[in-house]
Formats: sequence, structure tokens, C-alpha cells
Amino acid sequence: MVNFDANINAAIPNNNKVMPQTEKTIAEKGDFTKIVKAVGDFISEVDNLQSSSDMSIKDLLAGKHTDITSVVSAVAKADMSFKLLVGVRNKLIEAYKQTMNMPI
Amino acid sequence: MEVNDVLNSIDIAISGMRAQSKNMEIVTSNVANARTTDDGHGMPYRRLEAVLKAETDGIGGVTVDEIVKDMRDFQKIFDPGSPQADKDGYVSMPNVNLPIEIMNLNIATRTYQANAAILKRYQQMMETTLELLR
Repeated sequence: MVNFDANINAAIPNNNKVMPQTEKTIAEKGDFTKIVKAVGDFISEVDNLQSSSDMSIKDLLAGKHTDITSVVSAVAKADMSFKLLVGVRNKLIEAYKQTMNMPI
Repeated sequence: MEVNDVLNSIDIAISGMRAQSKNMEIVTSNVANARTTDDGHGMPYRRLEAVLKAETDGIGGVTVDEIVKDMRDFQKIFDPGSPQADKDGYVSMPNVNLPIEIMNLNIATRTYQANAAILKRYQQMMETTLELLR
């Protein structure tokens, strides 16, 4: 019985060490407004890629430059980043809805 | 958020495609001028060749470093009736060898296709990754 108590005492300091760390990371990373702001920054970056792809298509159609590969690269970048944005947005909205539907 | 890391592969594949289309352009010029006896300076056309160079040390795309002239000897054709014939009746013709040009064209086409295939596959890979978000 005495040994059993000693084990618990040995285990408690470890728990104390671990717990504050996880609380800290939750406080740093789990801020929903921060995530939304970061997504806002990402949106502007995606928007830049979209407008540059639009510009390169317009230039190609207007005959300003005839380098199709650069158009392809601009469109591929815009497409990929937009898909990533939509994926993240869907996930965020899903998380928001789940939070709002939580029974209080 | 670093988007550029994700888009790096696209740039590399596009640089490969661009370099190979330049290669194709050079082959076209060589074939078109296979019988050109005057390059504008009174000499027969010299065949051109592209020198490719890596964009950076390490992972990176490719660029056409320079386009050099092939300094091999001109072909001589016996044609005494030609106004460009020398005193023995020979005409200097460009050092373009058509079978070699066709081979280079094939290489350029295949490399271009390979780069395009990589671009397509990379897009598919990214879509697979984004599927995980759903």
C-alpha cells in the first residue's frame, strides 16, 4: 500500500508538467478570430493569383504576348490556390456550424 | 501562409516546357534553313543549338542559357551551274543534317510531353491532398 502511494506522487509532477503546455497551445492556436483573419490574408493572396491569371488570358487574347505556357502556369496556380481556399473555407464553416449547433 | 512552396513544382514544370519549346523553335529554324546558302553575311546558314542551364544550384527549373552556332564544316555540293559555285563548281551548303534535326525534334517533343505530364500529375496530387479536407 505504501508503494502504491509513492507511485501516485511520482506520477503527479509529470502531469503538472504536461498540462500547462497543452493549455498554452490551445490558447495560442485555438483562437477562431485569428484563423478567420489568416484566411482573409490568404484570400487576398488567392485573389492576386486570380487577377494575374485573368490578365495573362486577356493579354493572350489581345495578342500582347503569345507565350501560352505562362498563361497555363498562371491559370494552374490560380486554380490550385482557389481549390485550397474553398477546401479551407468549407472546413471552417463546418466547424462554425458545429459550434453553433452545440446544445447549451 | 506560404503558397509559393506549393506552386514551385508548377514553375519548374513550366520552365521545362518553355525550354523545350525554345528547342523546338531552334529545330524549326534549322530545318527551314537547311538549304539556305546566304545567312545575310554571304555565308551559308550555320545550324543552331540551345545550351540548357539549371536555374539554381539544387531544386529549380531550367533556362536556355545561350543559343550557339554549330561550327562544323559546311557540306559541299557539286553544282557548277549555280551562281554561288566556286571555281571547282562546288557550292557550300549549311551544316544542317535533317535526320539529326528530326531526332532532336523528337527529343524536344517527348521532353515537353513529360513536363506537361508532370504538371498534370502534380495537380492531381494536390487535388488528392485537398480531398482529405472534406
